[in-house]
Amino acid sequence: MPDPVKPIAKGMFLTMKHYINMLRAREKTNVTVQYPEERREQFSRTRWRHVLTRYDNGLEKCIGCSLCAGACPARCIYVQAAENSDEARYSPGERYAVRYEINILRCIFCGYCQEACPTGAIVLRKDFELADYNRKDFLYTKEMLLEPLPIQADVLPVPMEKARGMVGAGKE
Amino acid sequence: MADNDLVNVKIDGIAVQVPKGTPAIEAAKKAGVDIPFFCYHPKLSMEAGANCRMCLVEVATPRKGPDGTISMAKMPKPQTACSLPVSEGMEIETQTEQVIADRKAILEFLLINHPLDCPICDRGGECPLQNNTIFYGPQNSRFIEEKRHFPKAYPLSKHVVFDRERCIHCARCTRFTDDISGDHQLAFLKRGADMYIDTFNQSKMVSKFSGNVIEICPVGALLSRDYRFKARPWDILSQKSICTQCSNGCNIKLDYRVGRLQRVNARLNEAVNEEWTCDKGKFGMDYVSTDQRLVTPLIRRDGALQPATWSEAMDLVVQRLKEAGKSVGAIGGARCTNEDNYILQKFFRNVLKSNNLDHRLGTYLPPAQSGLHARLGYHTMGNAIADFERMKTIFVIGSDLVNEQPILFLRVRKAWRFKGGRIIAANPAATQISEFADPEVTYRAGAEVALLNGIIKILAERNPSAADLPGYGDFIKSLAGWSIEKAAEESGVSAERIRRIADAIFSGETAFIAGKAVTEHPDASAVIEAICNLAVLSGNAANVNIPVTQCNAQGAMDMGLLPDSAPGYTPVEEPGLNTRQMLEAAADSNLKALWLVGADPVAHYTDADLAKRALGGDTFVIASELFLTPSAELADVVLPVASVAEKDGTYTNCERRVQRIFKAFELSPDVHPDWFVFADASGRLEQPLPYFSARDILREINVTVPLYADCSPQKLGNEGIRWQYPSAKSDLQLVPVEYRPLAKVTVAE
Ligand code: SF4
Ligand code: SF4
Ligand code: SF4
Ligand code: SF4
Ligand code: FES
Repeated sequence: MPDPVKPIAKGMFLTMKHYINMLRAREKTNVTVQYPEERREQFSRTRWRHVLTRYDNGLEKCIGCSLCAGACPARCIYVQAAENSDEARYSPGERYAVRYEINILRCIFCGYCQEACPTGAIVLRKDFELADYNRKDFLYTKEMLLEPLPIQADVLPVPMEKARGMVGAGKE
Repeated sequence: MADNDLVNVKIDGIAVQVPKGTPAIEAAKKAGVDIPFFCYHPKLSMEAGANCRMCLVEVATPRKGPDGTISMAKMPKPQTACSLPVSEGMEIETQTEQVIADRKAILEFLLINHPLDCPICDRGGECPLQNNTIFYGPQNSRFIEEKRHFPKAYPLSKHVVFDRERCIHCARCTRFTDDISGDHQLAFLKRGADMYIDTFNQSKMVSKFSGNVIEICPVGALLSRDYRFKARPWDILSQKSICTQCSNGCNIKLDYRVGRLQRVNARLNEAVNEEWTCDKGKFGMDYVSTDQRLVTPLIRRDGALQPATWSEAMDLVVQRLKEAGKSVGAIGGARCTNEDNYILQKFFRNVLKSNNLDHRLGTYLPPAQSGLHARLGYHTMGNAIADFERMKTIFVIGSDLVNEQPILFLRVRKAWRFKGGRIIAANPAATQISEFADPEVTYRAGAEVALLNGIIKILAERNPSAADLPGYGDFIKSLAGWSIEKAAEESGVSAERIRRIADAIFSGETAFIAGKAVTEHPDASAVIEAICNLAVLSGNAANVNIPVTQCNAQGAMDMGLLPDSAPGYTPVEEPGLNTRQMLEAAADSNLKALWLVGADPVAHYTDADLAKRALGGDTFVIASELFLTPSAELADVVLPVASVAEKDGTYTNCERRVQRIFKAFELSPDVHPDWFVFADASGRLEQPLPYFSARDILREINVTVPLYADCSPQKLGNEGIRWQYPSAKSDLQLVPVEYRPLAKVTVAE
C-alpha cells in the first residue's frame, strides 16, 4: 500500500501556494466592485438605455420616420409622427415624432434602432439600471427618452427660418 | 383569340406567345422577366407615354437578306419596352451590359434633382423609385451641386398635396386625368428642369377621382393630405374589404394601425372597379375610426340616453319586444351585410312573426314599384359593370352618373375612350358626362316620357318586326297622338337631336342606365315602363339598368328586407307594412316597437316630419347604429354595432356581385355585428338562432336562397360572384304608357 501522507502533503502545499498568491494579488487588483457605492467604467460602445438626442440648439433630432420601429426585431418601438408648424416647431424640417415609445421590457438592446436612424436621434447609452416596480413604467415615453434641453437652447418653439439656419450650425 | 393573332417572341431567350401588338414589357411579364419601369401603366394610353426611359431593352428583329436568308438585325439604339409593340420573331435582351449601364444612367439622372428625403416621405417603403434604385441603380451620384428646391406639400386639391421636388415627370397623373377620370385637371407647366405638374390655370384640382393619382404616382410627389405623416408602410396592417359609400362595391384595402383606419387603397378587381376608387370611397371611409363612434349601449332613462351594459340593454329590448307581440317592425339594412340582413328577417319573420320589414328610405321603391322585374325579368341591372365596355351605344337617362354611380361612370367613359362606344345622355341638367356624350340633351324636368315617346316613335317606324311583339297593337295606338315635333315641344329637346339619339340606339347593341331623376320622378313607374318599351323595341331587353344607390341595398332586397317578399324574392302570404306605413303607424301609436337597423329616417326619409313624429311618439324605438344620428337620438335603446371594418360578411353590389368583407380590427368588446344582436335577442327570447360566424350564416343562405347557391365562402374568392337569374325573360311585351306632364302628376302612393 502506498504512503498516504506524501500526496496529501503535496496537495496541501499547492493549495496554500495559491492561497498566498491570491492574498498577494488582491492587494494589487480589486476584482469585486462594491456596487452600488462603486461603479465600473463602461465600454464606450455599451448599449443600454435609449436616449432621444437633440441638436445643440435644442431642436429634437428625431423626425418621426419610424425607421427605428421598422428595424427593431422586437417590435417594441411605437412612433407617431406629426407636422411641424411655424408656431410649434420641434424638429428641423416638416416632420417630428409626436409620440415615441419604447417598451423596454421587450427590447433586446441590439442597437438596430440606433443603426437605422437617419438623423442619429435614437442612441443607446450607458444607463443600465432599468429595474422598476410596475410593468407600465417600462413603457418609456418620448418625454422620458428625450435629452434635457441644453442650458443655452433657444426657447422653443422657434420659427421656421430660424430653425433651418440652426441645423448644422450647432454641430461645429 | 385566334391563333394568327399570336406572335412568337423571345425575351432573354425565353420563348413566349403573345397577341400581336402587346407592349414588350407585358410580353416580358409573361416570360417572367423583370423589366423596371416608372411611367408605364397598363390602363393608361401610350400616346403621351414612354417618358421615364427606365424600361430600356435591346431588341433584334428578323430581317430577310437579299439572298433570302433570315438574319437577326439588332436595332441600333435601346428601345423603351413599354411602348414597343412586339412583332413576330422579335428577340429582346434585358440583361446586356448596355442595358445595365443604361438603367444606372437613367436612375442617376432621375435622382439628380430628387431630394431623397425618404425618411419623411409617405411613399418611403413602398416606392418604385426606391426599389428600382436599390436593384438597378448606381451606388452613388456624381452630382454635388445644390438640388432645386420648391415649397413642400403644395395643396393641389382637397385631398391631394404635391411635392414638386420629388416628381420625376412620368406623366402618369396627367394621363390619368385624360384617360380615366376625364376631368383633364393635371398638366405639365413649363419645360425642362423647371417642368412641374399643376392644374392648367393653377387653380384647385377639381376631380371626383383625385385620390387615384396618389396611388399611381411612382414616387412620393402626389400624396394624400389625410394620410400625410400618419404611418409608414411597415407600421400598418391591411385587410381586404369593400367600400360602403355607394352601391358600386369597389374592392379596397383597409390599412389600419393599432385599431384605427389610416387610409384606403384600391384593390384590383377587373370586373368592378379595375384598380380605381372614387374620392367618396377613398377619403370617406374614415367614419370608421372617428371618436364619435358608439362603443356602449345607451338606454333612455329619465328622458335622456344614458350608458348601460349590454345585458341591461338587451333585456330591456327583449322585454319590450315580448310585450309588443306582432306589432313590431324594422327599417333599414341597406348598409348591413347580407348575413346581418338574413338574420334580421329571420328573427322578424320566424321569431317575432312579423313581415314589417323594409330597407327602403327613398321615394323610389324597388323592386315592387319599379315594374322592371315584371317587364324584363330582373330587378335592377341587366348588365354587369364590365359589360358596358362592349356596348355600341350607352344611353344615360336622368342620371348624374359621376356622382350617383362613379365606377359605372368610369366604365362608360372607358367604353367611349378606348372601345369605340358611343354615349348618349339625356338629363334635366348638364353633368360631367357632357365631356364625351354625343349628343347630350337637356330636357325639361319631368318630361322623360315625352322624350322617350319621341325616340320610340322613330324606332317603331324603323323596326317593323316589332309588330310581332305582344301588346304591340295597344302600344302603337297609344302613340298615335305623338310625333317627333310634339315630343320636341313637350321635352324641350330639338327634333333633330331626338333623331340622332334614335339613330345611335338603332346602330347596335345599346345599354340603358337610368338614375335618380328617373327613380325619384313622381311618376317613376311610367318613366320606367317607357324605358322598358324602348329597350324591348330596340332589341335590348337585357340591357336596362336602374342601379340601386346604397351600399348593400341590392343585398337587402335579395335577403328579403321587403314587406312583401322573403329571401330570394319569394312572395310572402301576408305582406307587412312598408317604410311609410310603419312610420305612419308609429306616429299614430299603432306600432309597439320599431327597430332601426342602420337607418336614419329623420335625416334621410323624404318626410322628415313624419319620421320625427314616429320616433318621438309612444313606439319603443331600438336603433342599431354606429353613431348617435338624429334618429338614434330619439330612440329608447341605442345599440352600438360593428362597422365594415369590424365584421366579416358579404355585400352585394348594384350588379348583383356578392363580395366578401373581412374583419380588420375590434372597436370595443360591446360592439357586435348586427346579426349577432338579433341572434342574441332571439336567444333571450328562448328561441336561439345558433350561429357562430358570418360564414355559418352564408352557408345557410347558400342552401335556403337558391339565387345565392353558388356564393359560398369558398367560392367567392377575390373577384366575388355575380348571381344570375335562373332564366331570361321570354314573354317580352310592349305596354302603353300615358304621359302626364309634371304639373298634373300627384305624388305616387
Ligand atoms: S435596441 Fe434593438 S430591440 Fe431595443 S429598441 Fe432598439 S432595435 Fe429594438
Ligand atoms: S429615432 Fe430616428 S429612426 Fe426613429 S423615428 Fe426618430 S428619426 Fe426616425
Ligand atoms: S406627380 Fe407623380 S405621377 Fe405625376 S408626373 Fe410626377 S412623378 Fe409622375
Ligand atoms: S365608386 Fe362607390 S364603391 Fe367605389 S369608392 Fe366610390 S363610393 Fe366607394
Ligand atoms: S416605363 Fe417605359 S419609358 Fe417609362
